[in-house]
Amino acid sequence: MVARTMMAAAGLFVLGLILLIAGAVIEPAAPAISQSGESLIALGLTFIAIAVGFFFAWAAPS
Amino acid sequence: MEGEDSSNSGVKYLVGKTAGKSGVIAGLVATHIATIFGLWFYGARLPKFDFPSLNGYIYVGLPFGFTHPDVAFVVGGVFHYVDGILFGLIFALVVSPMMGRIIKPLAAMTPTANYIKGLIWGWTLWIISSALWMPLLIGPILAPYGAPVGTFLTSFGPYGVQALLANLLWHTIWGANLGLIFSPRPASGGVRSWTRATAAEMR
Repeated sequence: MVARTMMAAAGLFVLGLILLIAGAVIEPAAPAISQSGESLIALGLTFIAIAVGFFFAWAAPS
Repeated sequence: MEGEDSSNSGVKYLVGKTAGKSGVIAGLVATHIATIFGLWFYGARLPKFDFPSLNGYIYVGLPFGFTHPDVAFVVGGVFHYVDGILFGLIFALVVSPMMGRIIKPLAAMTPTANYIKGLIWGWTLWIISSALWMPLLIGPILAPYGAPVGTFLTSFGPYGVQALLANLLWHTIWGANLGLIFSPRPASGGVRSWTRATAAEMR
């Protein structure tokens, strides 16, 4: 169960990285903005934050 | 900083000796970290989430015309931090025990279960913020200045729908920090369940 939770967190982290990279590639140079690019950046960072939090929770002594 | 409840409840906290104190401290830390990250968002090409100023526009902006931005930031910041601390307290005393009783997989007092409960509370506030707070309170203030908010924060000025997702990121950071820091655990080790803890034990 613990291993499965960590695999899910790792998957979220990788998914976040992929979305973040995709968003950064789509995003045009400033000052122009792309709604798709910034949306992917926001979602990517959200998944990464969730995954890092899962790791911290898993690593915390209980 | 780690403390055990003095009432011999058998519950210890990562910080503070009671659920109330731990919730207040967790709410303060979570609010400050999320607020700072929100102010940094524009570095990642996201809409800057300046909740202190947005609160300031509500409390001191409308009745007197737009006040000085510094005044709006400071006054709004006070309200914003008090809000965040009290949402943390509500989480600690009401929401977290309630989730432990209603959602069985979250009944165990483990760091992971506490973390997930913090995320759920953060996402709940994200929905309230995007569906009600921003459209009903901030929208009318900013619309005359060319930055309408739109239904469910889907057309925030030039940023459009990504403001909704940036708001999700903000509240995820808040909920994650809240759930990681407000982390009640059995004082004697092992896994204790919220279903066996009484309300009196948690005060």
